[in-house]
Amino acid sequence: MNELLLSIPFLRDHILTVVIFLPLLGAALLFFFSDEVKIKWFALAVTVVDFILATPLVCRFDTTTHAFQFVERYVWIPSWNIHYYLGVDGISVLFVYLTTLVGWVCVLASWTAIERKLKEFMITLLVIQTAMIGVFCALDFFLFYLFWEAMLIPMYLIIGVWGGANRIYAAVKFFLYTLAGSILMLVGIIALYFAAGGTFDIPELMEHRYSFTFQAWLFVAFFFAFAIKVPMFPFHTWLPDAHVEAPTAGSIILAAILLKMGTYGFLRFSLPMFPDASIYFSPHIIVLSIIAIIYGAFLALAQEDIKKLIAYSSVSHMGFITLGLFIFNKNGVEGGILQMFNHGITTGALFLCVGIIYERTHSRLIKDYGWGAKLVPIYVLFLFIFSIASLGFPGTNGFIGELLILFGAFESFKPFVVFLLAGIALGAFYMLWMFGRMTFGAEVAHGEGDEGHDDGGHKIWDINLREAIALIAFVVFVFWVGFQPGPFLEIMHESVDNLLTQVAGSTDVAIASIK
Amino acid sequence: MIFSLKDIVAILPEITIVAGACVLLLAALLIPKGERKDVIAYFAIGFVALAAIDTLIISGMEKTTVLGGMFVLDGYACFFKFVFYIGTILSILLSLNYVDEEKINVEEYYILMLFSLSGMMVIASGANLLTIYLGLELMSLPVYVLVGFLQRDIRSNEASMKYIVLGAFSSGILLFGISLIYGLTGTTQLVGIAEALTDATVHVPVFALAVIMLVAGFGFKIAGVPFHMWAPDAYEGAPTPITGFMSVAVKAAAFAALLRVFIEGLSTVQADWQLVVALVSVASLVVGNVVAIAQSNIKRMLAYSSVGHAGYALLGLVAGTAEGVSGVMFYMLTYTFMNLGAFGVVITMRKGSQMGENIEDYAGLAKTNRALALAMLIFLFSLAGIPPTAGFVAKFYIFMALIHQGMIPLAVIAVLMSAVAAYYYARIVMIMYMREPAGEFELARSRGLVYALVLAVIAVILMGVYPTYFIELAQRATFIM
Amino acid sequence: MVPLTWYIALSALLFMVGVGGVLLRRNIIIVLMSVELILNSVNINFVAFSYYLQDLTGQIFAIFTITVAAAEIAVALGILIALVRNRNIINVDEIDTMRG
Repeated sequence: MNELLLSIPFLRDHILTVVIFLPLLGAALLFFFSDEVKIKWFALAVTVVDFILATPLVCRFDTTTHAFQFVERYVWIPSWNIHYYLGVDGISVLFVYLTTLVGWVCVLASWTAIERKLKEFMITLLVIQTAMIGVFCALDFFLFYLFWEAMLIPMYLIIGVWGGANRIYAAVKFFLYTLAGSILMLVGIIALYFAAGGTFDIPELMEHRYSFTFQAWLFVAFFFAFAIKVPMFPFHTWLPDAHVEAPTAGSIILAAILLKMGTYGFLRFSLPMFPDASIYFSPHIIVLSIIAIIYGAFLALAQEDIKKLIAYSSVSHMGFITLGLFIFNKNGVEGGILQMFNHGITTGALFLCVGIIYERTHSRLIKDYGWGAKLVPIYVLFLFIFSIASLGFPGTNGFIGELLILFGAFESFKPFVVFLLAGIALGAFYMLWMFGRMTFGAEVAHGEGDEGHDDGGHKIWDINLREAIALIAFVVFVFWVGFQPGPFLEIMHESVDNLLTQVAGSTDVAIASIK
Repeated sequence: MIFSLKDIVAILPEITIVAGACVLLLAALLIPKGERKDVIAYFAIGFVALAAIDTLIISGMEKTTVLGGMFVLDGYACFFKFVFYIGTILSILLSLNYVDEEKINVEEYYILMLFSLSGMMVIASGANLLTIYLGLELMSLPVYVLVGFLQRDIRSNEASMKYIVLGAFSSGILLFGISLIYGLTGTTQLVGIAEALTDATVHVPVFALAVIMLVAGFGFKIAGVPFHMWAPDAYEGAPTPITGFMSVAVKAAAFAALLRVFIEGLSTVQADWQLVVALVSVASLVVGNVVAIAQSNIKRMLAYSSVGHAGYALLGLVAGTAEGVSGVMFYMLTYTFMNLGAFGVVITMRKGSQMGENIEDYAGLAKTNRALALAMLIFLFSLAGIPPTAGFVAKFYIFMALIHQGMIPLAVIAVLMSAVAAYYYARIVMIMYMREPAGEFELARSRGLVYALVLAVIAVILMGVYPTYFIELAQRATFIM
Repeated sequence: MVPLTWYIALSALLFMVGVGGVLLRRNIIIVLMSVELILNSVNINFVAFSYYLQDLTGQIFAIFTITVAAAEIAVALGILIALVRNRNIINVDEIDTMRG
């Protein structure tokens, strides 16, 4: 299959362009559809084809080099030395794949959940997919910023038009927070352009060495953009609002992809380009990460709303990842990247689970459930898998990622491990607590509903094939990474090694210059 | 002085417009009253197109100075003239339906626009402070009248009154500054001023006063803070197509003069004006964008946003390099499309009893009129500077010029203000897309509107995605290397 | 011969009276007259400099300024008539329909 795809010369040379812009093309074509059923199937077809086209990226990925692969480079705006420059390496390729996976899952998740303006929704969904894949593939800063900001408009609309009761507030908050964060980055990017002698070429910018003061300023300018996207404590307040109000597909995209862009930004730009500043600021970032881990977990414990609970658990989990990245050792960074992937899978899946049950009851409150085991046993099985994956149960993907970060932390500075373990323990507590209350809580808290109805009188049925397919897509990865993390780690080995030499090399230079 | 053929050729576009306007004044009498307005409008567009062709042909010429050094024909002038042509044609297209709606039954409306256009063209080619001043007045006088064209509307009367009083006042200040510069340097020729200024004895305190007066005089025309107080009222009261015309073409012309005077004439004393211009720019950015948040009338909001945009463009002048100049030129080109596009949507909303000026009137527009709401979304996000739209590239250009000169604090203020700006632009999008409509929308429908909006959307997206051609055009056209 | 500084002092004085009139007076007619004062101070400047520098440009400029000022005042009075017809006001601070 993969060979077949790559044997087409055009695809072989332009695979990234095709993967990025296929959804946009699909969105443009969708304008001409009017039948709702056809719209859904067409959007699904586009995203599935995109997913299939993205598979060779991972399967044919050359794991022996850290160089960028599937590179495409054309002059775009010669006056500013801007290129249309795409490529993936071991750090980004997994997220391109994850985005295309989430793409079709989101279409499935919106199949019946979106009741009005379905066509516009699907168009928006496809447009944002183009922007997201573009962010991970762009190797020119101008192009990167273009995709990065272009994401805002569709997400603003997804939350604001198709969201819940308080959607407008959430949408505006999301929009302003993320925009305010990323505009300083624009100044940073341009400053970098002149510092490096007039180039937006990301690999070239990585080669350059900048003075420490310059690095520190730039690190700060980029930090706000990425920290708000992650979101790190104390920039996380937009996240619960956005998650709660967004429609299911919006929540999945937010959790699975958008949050990853913050940590991806740290990995791709902050660490290799400003290594001295990264090391200088790392204690602060680690402290913020630890606060996020503990504080996020406690907040999650206190939530009555399922979506809020998962949102705060995201804050906690993303704290693990930022901590992993900023301890600068192989286990920490690889664990961080793997955990980014894992968090995308499990949290995306958890939001999908919430969305599925929300469609039936129109309630997000944990106390309204509790009949899960009785009425929707298959659904409960999936929920169970994702809950234990989220808390890092052995055999699931979360376990591997958290274990690697723990190892990394242990090598780096042992007391960190205490906080991480506390975070994991709290995580187990709130996830299982939520799962238990949703599944078996009814016998304690509520009377029994009729057969097939909850006690609010809503008709309840177990998941159908469409929902099952979407969930199984995530389950596959939960166990695949859980039992066979080797291939995933292998993809990133070379790139992470290279990244760490860049950081370490600069440290040596820095130390030497002090001596 | 004897006119040579070269002189005539160089000012052929201006002759075309002025002669065209005069011909139309007379020809109007021959056309039956019923269709007079529209016919005149089409002919006006025709004359602008003719002038555009003239300009296109002579733009290939070497830089020439004609009419005894008063008038210069270079790439810079031609670029700005094209901005004015585009602004004028779009404004006329937007007016076609609006004048019927407002029952403006006078064909002079279009003819005055042509006269104003000729003034702008003179400004763009002005190589002498006298030419530039005359151009400014030739541009402004018709606009004063156009602002007050809704004779029965008190807002329009008041707007026009305020505009002319403050406009005349500002040109008085400008003239006083010019007279001082003339006294100090002995010439009003821009090149001559630049030469004279290399002599340090000219550099007396009075000179700084003269420069400040020039900044104040031009500041009025571009509506920079603190010389902006006329703008919100004039923008609100004027007929909407004229508001668009003022915010785009008049502003671009004032920038054409500003750049020419300050970069060509006063570049040797950059230190004298840089701080003043930077202060005006920052004040415009802050006041324009912050006050725009509080507006409930969309024309007023766009007026304050236009004050903010003047602040961005001024940053290009502060940078003072070729990059800055071409940045401002590109900014004016993109601003023409996105702002006239936004005004086009406002005009479309004006129908019958529906004024379409209140921001709340736009609630739920996306539910019933998808295409119009999408167009407005594109214009607003372009004004906010969000990629992939032209507005982003324009801001990017200005920031490049600023940061290249190491003016990072200014760039930081500018980007922070663009986040503030995003708030009120996004608010309109929110109202259009996320609110329920209060009732049925009555929309003006005319071919002119559709053409103008489609053209603006295409331009905004094209210059956002593939700006290469336009950037190179602006770069080639700057008068400094 | 009258020294140049005297001319400049006169024109500066006229200019200030003009600016004061525009900013302080309420009657629109008087405001417009004050604008004329400013323009005339400019003319004095131009002519004085022209004579002092023995250069014609200043006088040419002054003639243009006078012409343009006439055109400007004609337009302004026309607009004022429309305003008086509609609202019957003549004072600047009564122009207050639009706020914000």
